[in-house]
Amino acid sequence: MIQFRNVSKTYPPNVHALKNATFHIKPGEFIFLVGQSGTGKTTAVRLLIAEEKVSAGRIIVGGWDITHIPRRHVPLLRRQIGVVWQDFKLLPKKTAFENIAFALEVSGSENSRIQKIVPQVLKIVGLEDKAIRYPAQLSGGEQQRISIARALVHRPKILIADEPTGNLDAVNTREIIDILQKINEFGTTVLLVTHNRDIVNSLKKRVITLDHGIVIADQEKGRYFL
Amino acid sequence: MFLISLTRIIRFALQNFYRNIWLSIITITIIILTLFSLTSLIVINAGVSQAILTIKNKVDISIYFKNSTNESTVNPLKEKISAYTNVKEVELITASEALEKFKNNHKNDPLIQKALQELDANPLGPTLTVKAHDVNLYQQILSQLKQDKIDQLAEEIDYDDNKLVIERLEAISQKVQRLGLIISIIFAIISLLVVFNTIRIGIYTHKEEIGIMKLVGASNWFIRAPFLLEGIIYALLGNIIFWLLFYLAAGFLQPFLFAFFIDINFNLINYLVSHFLYIFGFELIIIIILNTISSFIAIGKYLKV
Repeated sequence: MIQFRNVSKTYPPNVHALKNATFHIKPGEFIFLVGQSGTGKTTAVRLLIAEEKVSAGRIIVGGWDITHIPRRHVPLLRRQIGVVWQDFKLLPKKTAFENIAFALEVSGSENSRIQKIVPQVLKIVGLEDKAIRYPAQLSGGEQQRISIARALVHRPKILIADEPTGNLDAVNTREIIDILQKINEFGTTVLLVTHNRDIVNSLKKRVITLDHGIVIADQEKGRYFL
Repeated sequence: MFLISLTRIIRFALQNFYRNIWLSIITITIIILTLFSLTSLIVINAGVSQAILTIKNKVDISIYFKNSTNESTVNPLKEKISAYTNVKEVELITASEALEKFKNNHKNDPLIQKALQELDANPLGPTLTVKAHDVNLYQQILSQLKQDKIDQLAEEIDYDDNKLVIERLEAISQKVQRLGLIISIIFAIISLLVVFNTIRIGIYTHKEEIGIMKLVGASNWFIRAPFLLEGIIYALLGNIIFWLLFYLAAGFLQPFLFAFFIDINFNLINYLVSHFLYIFGFELIIIIILNTISSFIAIGKYLKV
């Protein structure tokens, strides 16, 4: 599903965010990408959604080589990968419903389809009664669930969550992880970027560990050992 | 697909407009102020031009003939002078008309009235007043009159008195026009910068949103179009509100202005009505172009996500 082949990313003048990273994520996997702050986890995510370009190596997503993706194809790629960020990235002047609908509207979906899908994904994240609230009227956990709902509207094969629980308390963290697991059970590949030791150790899933931009471990049923 | 996107873009533009209502009000206010300075300049220029034109129209050459000269002598001269290419019109004031005019002008002066009653015959002769196409042409006309020996037939040719006034007027007119142009350019540049920055600041507040839109898969034009449309809405509303206010203000000021401009025949309301489409269209296009360029540059900066 996702292949990193000897991927390196260097920021000028001489900062190596990723060095020769190679791994392969299979369809339907739930996988952790872990490491301490500044080890290249977020860089890997940014490369996956073409927010950054690789300095060397190749990235293949669902059979599509996105290493040198033209700018005009970037929106198409982003509609196929659901992404959830630590800071939620919700549009402040749009309601929960409108935020989710927006992801469909940009791709030209019919209104009837939007009216059908948005309530469905709101139900998946358990917020069907908060559809007309603005982000500022929602708690952190609720905002993150809206952001997950938005990531799901295109029924993506891949869901990337970059520190999705970084701003949340223990209860909300548990809820978000439960939702991500549920999504994974439906068949979506989930890549969860985190440095939360407890989550990693409790789920016993595959763990890829980064340290200073280098993949230092890739274990089935791994643990957070840094 | 295109229609769906278009209706969405219009909806997003309107949503942006009223969900950021304070920003919208500020932007429109700036546009109104800009239009105020632009339109004031246009109107002041028009007023000054009209004033200069009026004063220039008052300039003429008066050829006074002796009271013994009869109209049969003067009429051919009138025809002759009318035929000069630089002459706009020649008016003949007969001796009796001249007397009437003189009586009228001094009707409150009993001494002159009495003196006139003492006279048996009309002491005044006929007069020809000559108007040129342009004030610069009077010297030329004077020399032509000399060439045709008309000055010898006349008792007096009255022009020298006006010569200095005309020269001064010309100098002032040129200065006013030059100064007006410089002030207009300075104002135009200030207005451009103010509107440009207002739009840029407006978009700067949307900086994060633009980034988010890109990250959830919006194409550049899908992000750009609502902002451009919003700019057009600002321009339209700004223009309409400005003109309503300006008309109200002009209606209120007209009596005062009328008193001030009574000699130069400048009616602000009439001027605005007759030039409305021209000024409104010109300003609307300028503001729309300005908004579009500002939005385009400002958004472009944040689209590189």
